[in-house]
Amino acid sequence: MKDFKIPVTEVGNGGFQVSVDLNIYSVDAVTATCYKYTDKFYVHQQTADEKTMNIILEAKDSNATVSSETVKQFCNDLIDQQVRVLVNRDFGHIRDLIVEEAFKPVNK
Amino acid sequence: MMYEYNILPFRFDHFNEEEYLLTNDVGEFLFMKNEDFEKFVNHDLDPKSDLFMDIASKQIATTDKVEEVVKMLATKFRTKKSILRDFTSLHMVVPTLRCNSSCIYCQAKRHESSDHSADMTKKTAKNIVKCIFEGPSPYIKIEFQGGDPSVDFEMVKYIIEEAEWQNLFKKRELGFVICTNLTLLTPEMVKYLKKHKCDISTSLDGPKDLHDTNRPLQDKSLDHHEIFEKNVRMVRDIWGDADCVSALMTTSKYSLGRYKEIIDEYIRLGFNNIFLRSLNPYGFAKEYKDKVSYPIEEFIKNFKEGLDYIIEINKNGEFFVEGFAALLLKRILTPFATGFVDLQSPAGVGIAGAIYDYDGSVYVADEGRMLARFKNYYFKLGNVNENTFQEMFNGKQLHEIIKNSCNECLPGCADCVFQPYCGADPVRNYSVQGDVVGHRPTNEMCIKTKAIIRYLMEKLHEGDPETIKIFWSWIK
Ligand code: SF4
Repeated sequence: MKDFKIPVTEVGNGGFQVSVDLNIYSVDAVTATCYKYTDKFYVHQQTADEKTMNIILEAKDSNATVSSETVKQFCNDLIDQQVRVLVNRDFGHIRDLIVEEAFKPVNK
Repeated sequence: MMYEYNILPFRFDHFNEEEYLLTNDVGEFLFMKNEDFEKFVNHDLDPKSDLFMDIASKQIATTDKVEEVVKMLATKFRTKKSILRDFTSLHMVVPTLRCNSSCIYCQAKRHESSDHSADMTKKTAKNIVKCIFEGPSPYIKIEFQGGDPSVDFEMVKYIIEEAEWQNLFKKRELGFVICTNLTLLTPEMVKYLKKHKCDISTSLDGPKDLHDTNRPLQDKSLDHHEIFEKNVRMVRDIWGDADCVSALMTTSKYSLGRYKEIIDEYIRLGFNNIFLRSLNPYGFAKEYKDKVSYPIEEFIKNFKEGLDYIIEINKNGEFFVEGFAALLLKRILTPFATGFVDLQSPAGVGIAGAIYDYDGSVYVADEGRMLARFKNYYFKLGNVNENTFQEMFNGKQLHEIIKNSCNECLPGCADCVFQPYCGADPVRNYSVQGDVVGHRPTNEMCIKTKAIIRYLMEKLHEGDPETIKIFWSWIK
């Protein structure tokens, strides 16, 4: 963890806290990212202020230590999830059009 | 520079260090270099480039009018979901719980061959057939399960003939399958089954020692595998067609590391396909689970080795199919609909298949029947002796279950890149994880499906022409 600085801090018990900038990431993206980590971690989300959300991840396995890879992966996953949110925001309505069009024959 | 194009709905994930995998709702897929992906989503990709043409041909983006593409995608989507049109067509019927086997992974509360307390009555059988024909599907497949249905062959005959009689008026496309360990079948029975177009589905777990370990007969003096082999020959001789009998394998702890031998045994006995199936661990007591079960990662490792071995066999000129891979490949490579009760969206429970127990109780799936043995009736739709078809198949309970089994909107699945090829299994979720929605990050079915689809995608990406040709030969 030493090579990994802001905005990540270790919180003991094999856990770490990430402060997420809500100017960049939507709450939906943050929650979807957290969900992915619920297999190995207990996850807590808390808004620190209007612009920041703190995520605390604590390993379920009390003997496990958090590697810097996990933390880096969490940050990368945030980006992926945010891209999904953006793509869906801009083009998701087309999916609704497709489904509507597909079921037109049976809705007549 | 920002280019003008419309991005259409798609899913993505990292495929490897350098590439993304993109898919869309109709099952098209595309690999894209990281830097191209970035350009693409930022509208920085030249629409005249070859890559963009490729993207457009998969309908993941377009420079045309969106309305036109929506129409095309809708047609494809409708085709993919056309399995929903007909409603329940697979009706599994349990004429008796009696069985002469004692398989180590059996979860049916089997009864000794002499115990008739769980035999179906004619009144119940008649009501089951009546209920089946009240369904709207133009196709009806009645599959006899057990126990071993051949133990009460008279009831099997009664149901077949009752269904054929009903069908004189209803005129559906009617078919039958009997799932049996084969050991009790006589030539007379087989002739009857042939005459009534009742296919035979059996179980084969591998070479003699493994088959007999997994599926011993209750009468220890009998050699299951030997009788099996003799009766497979007898069935084929009478039928005059090697494909009249198909086999299913189940992977127990003892099967791990032995897939090559298992596959060789299938080939030796004249089968041209296998479905490498993991154990469904639901319902075992903890101690028992440890005895026969294994971590899902072990199964995945074995599956990959098995698949590689089967590909090699095909390369050496023998046509032999792995059934699960074939199903997934059909979803990945073709626009066609593939119903598979255990892996479709919405789930197939109740709306594609249902099971009728010996006492007339109707469950959405076999595991629902197992749950009822533990006094949990969540997946029971009713009883043919008490409820109407409408009450059972159009009731609140089934609506609720189906509503929660569309993986297009389940947590974790909703943005999964493999969603178009996958499905939901609410009964499994409920029985293993405690609710119909389930928890994807720890869900074994999800871990397994993801790993296998990824492995197939890797093969497709490698692009070995021989392997691709073999894949196509499996889905024809
Ligand atoms: S079950 Fe798993 S693999 Fe299947 S769609 Fe859901 S997340 Fe993806």
